[in-house]
Amino acid sequence: MFQYMVRRILIAIPVLFGVTIFSFLIVNLAPGNPVDMQVNPYATEADIQTKKEALGLNDPIHIQYVHWLVNLAKGDFGYSFSTYEPVLTMIVDRIGPTLLLMGAALVLAYVIAIPIGILSATKQYSWMDYFTTSFSFIGISIPNFFLGLGLIYIFAITFQIFPTGGMNTLGNEGGLMDTLAHLIMPAIVLATGIAGNMVRYVRSSMLEILGQDYLRTARSKGLKEFFVVNKHALKNALIPIITVIGVDIPMLIGGAVVTEQIFQWPGLGQLTIQSIGSRDYPTLMAINLMAAIAVLLSNLIADMLYSVADPRIKYN
Amino acid sequence: MGKLTKITSMLFLAAMIFLTACSKDSGEKASTTGEKDKTMFLGMVNPPILFNPINSSDVASQFAEKFMFDSFLEMTGPQEFAPKLAESFETTDNQTYTITLNKNAKWSDGKPVTADDVAFTFNLVANPVVETVVGGYISMFQGLDENGKLQGGDKEIPSVKIIDEKKIEFKTKTPVDPNMIKEQLGTKFMILPKHALEKIEPAKLSQDPFMQNPTVTNGAYQFVQYKKDQYVEFKQNPDYYQGKVELSKLFIKVMPAANLVAQLQTGELHMNVAGGIGKIVPTDYETVEKIETVKTKTENTFGFQSMMFNTETIKDPKIRKAFAQAVDRQQIVDKLLKGYGEVIDGPYTTINPYLNKDLKTITYDPAAAKKALEEAGWDFEKELNFIVPTGNKVREQAADIITQNLKDAGVKVKMTTFDFPTLMAKGKAGEFDALLMGFTFTLDPDVSSLYTKTGAYNFMSYDNPKSDELLNKGKSEADPEKRKKLYDEVQEIWEEDMPIITLFSDFDFSAVSKKVTNGEPKVFGFHHETFKWNIEGAN
Repeated sequence: MFQYMVRRILIAIPVLFGVTIFSFLIVNLAPGNPVDMQVNPYATEADIQTKKEALGLNDPIHIQYVHWLVNLAKGDFGYSFSTYEPVLTMIVDRIGPTLLLMGAALVLAYVIAIPIGILSATKQYSWMDYFTTSFSFIGISIPNFFLGLGLIYIFAITFQIFPTGGMNTLGNEGGLMDTLAHLIMPAIVLATGIAGNMVRYVRSSMLEILGQDYLRTARSKGLKEFFVVNKHALKNALIPIITVIGVDIPMLIGGAVVTEQIFQWPGLGQLTIQSIGSRDYPTLMAINLMAAIAVLLSNLIADMLYSVADPRIKYN
Repeated sequence: MGKLTKITSMLFLAAMIFLTACSKDSGEKASTTGEKDKTMFLGMVNPPILFNPINSSDVASQFAEKFMFDSFLEMTGPQEFAPKLAESFETTDNQTYTITLNKNAKWSDGKPVTADDVAFTFNLVANPVVETVVGGYISMFQGLDENGKLQGGDKEIPSVKIIDEKKIEFKTKTPVDPNMIKEQLGTKFMILPKHALEKIEPAKLSQDPFMQNPTVTNGAYQFVQYKKDQYVEFKQNPDYYQGKVELSKLFIKVMPAANLVAQLQTGELHMNVAGGIGKIVPTDYETVEKIETVKTKTENTFGFQSMMFNTETIKDPKIRKAFAQAVDRQQIVDKLLKGYGEVIDGPYTTINPYLNKDLKTITYDPAAAKKALEEAGWDFEKELNFIVPTGNKVREQAADIITQNLKDAGVKVKMTTFDFPTLMAKGKAGEFDALLMGFTFTLDPDVSSLYTKTGAYNFMSYDNPKSDELLNKGKSEADPEKRKKLYDEVQEIWEEDMPIITLFSDFDFSAVSKKVTNGEPKVFGFHHETFKWNIEGAN
């Protein structure tokens, strides 16, 4: 197992290299450049030239890439072409809120979706099954911005239970309850889509398992149905579910662009959009790199979890 | 592996996520004052980028900066100037200008604001290694090269003279209209504290943490923090030179336009900042007008949205004029702006004294447009490459109306939408026939960056030597009367050449809570006497 992990990590290194080269190329190929976004009628031509030189944009692209790579090796992500802050600071500032929001959304989604999915599978073709199936469809298809604005209208404007956006009440910072109150609506919006998806995976995965012979054996031994379903069946149904979770986890890092925007949640999603809009190459590169690492890592974790869920799967 | 271990490992990730997130959060707890403070909340759509007064190109940053950095003057109406950091800003010959700083003006660390600080900032902007976007404000200073920069390792502008602690003098290359200097250098330029920044290498100045966290300021409000994309927090400057600051705290909150309306409804906001950075969308005007706790206000502005024509691909001015005639601009104003806008042809709106009122505005006439196109020999099989930037909903919708209008006149149109950097690149490369873009210049009529051959925004490749000559004369003419004549004439030329047509100038629509007793969004002098801003009672 340990060897397997080391091998996977070693393979990841060239993959990451490839990712950085590709993203550097693509980011630079996008039309327009960062200095264009900083021009106003009172910046002179000389001002623009100074900027290009200072930002290293006059160098050929491969030199720019090598500069970036050398600095990265020293642990320096560079500074943002738009805010002039160190990129690392910008990302560290954003990652907390994003992890909180996405973590809460994922946990909420799974806590709701897994039991419902199981129930729906065990009571196939019951009204409950139809009900959850249709609701999960609605959950998947309802756009985040629509649900978000709807929730704001109902709970923030009409009933004034929750704040319209942000992460804290201004001027009255801190307090877990305060953050929680701000967190609930965006987390619900995100969880709705994830849960809708999850219910369908759990349901179909359980349905497949429930017809298997070993469950009939378990039942015939006189085991209570509750244990049959939740212990014997669920464990085997977990494999495809873990795969889905493995795919979901990189979302933790990527953030949720639309939802973050609507609720003014100060996460990485917003930063990404702004960095694209301002052609902020160093920030985009850092975000890309992080996303790549997150994907590789979560795939690895998912693979590890397979062997936890199913002892037949062994790595060596 | 025990059962418990399995469950634990399954939940491990989730727990880790929560811990990481929570630990950061609790570490940032700010102390609550508990007092009944007067706090005002402003709503804005565009997030400020940085707080570097000499290197902020976005309007949102400049807007936020002006609460903590005072300009020399404040423009309170068309070419009316009120003193601010400068007690006086004078010239006798339109070439030598003397700025006398307010004698009580102090930086927030107690040090006086001096002529040294002014000279320090001028020298920085003129230094060719310093990243700045305000070089144009001082490029006419004597002793600077044609790019407006210091030459050959010079560190100081020779024509800037410190007279005494509070008095400084500078000289321009040629006499210039004092209104231009007062508007640009006077109301837009903000100075930096020399004592806090002089040790920093000029080439590294833009990356200095000060530009994120300006700790030494001279305005009515002091910087507390900027929670990225959430809000900028200011507190009162207890020792402000113009008078006692009434508010104890001021927040600029950043949010999408739809939330501006929501938060005005809930009372979480005291006003939207309007302008180009805090607009309420026109479809919400009615909703906002119905909110009982706010009063609304509308003002003419000097910003405008325009359609540029590529004069290389559409060479005949008659065709360009016909296109302008084919577009129903009044419909755009009526439908998309709910009537809150005006139709003009050029870069000067009706509040600009330099608008040539004798010129007739082009009116919508699709039949005449079609006829003119036929007469000029427009190839009706040719597809017009029409490109539109994203980021302004009204402009995007206007593009749909324009496309339809042109189609009605028989012109084939291919409209494509691009994000702003892409549009800029296409504009510069001339890869378009028509494009949309918005501008807010100063009230001063100099628009050479848009109309002259070498202008940075002249994507039209417009090249009329007569127009260039008039604009250059206009820039260096000191007498407002004579200037007016020059600009009247150049507007006539543009009307004939039609390299660019203004679609509309939208009015500022703003809402202010009735709790606010002093302070409101203004096209002129928004930041004039912000220390007097107040709200009734405590909140």
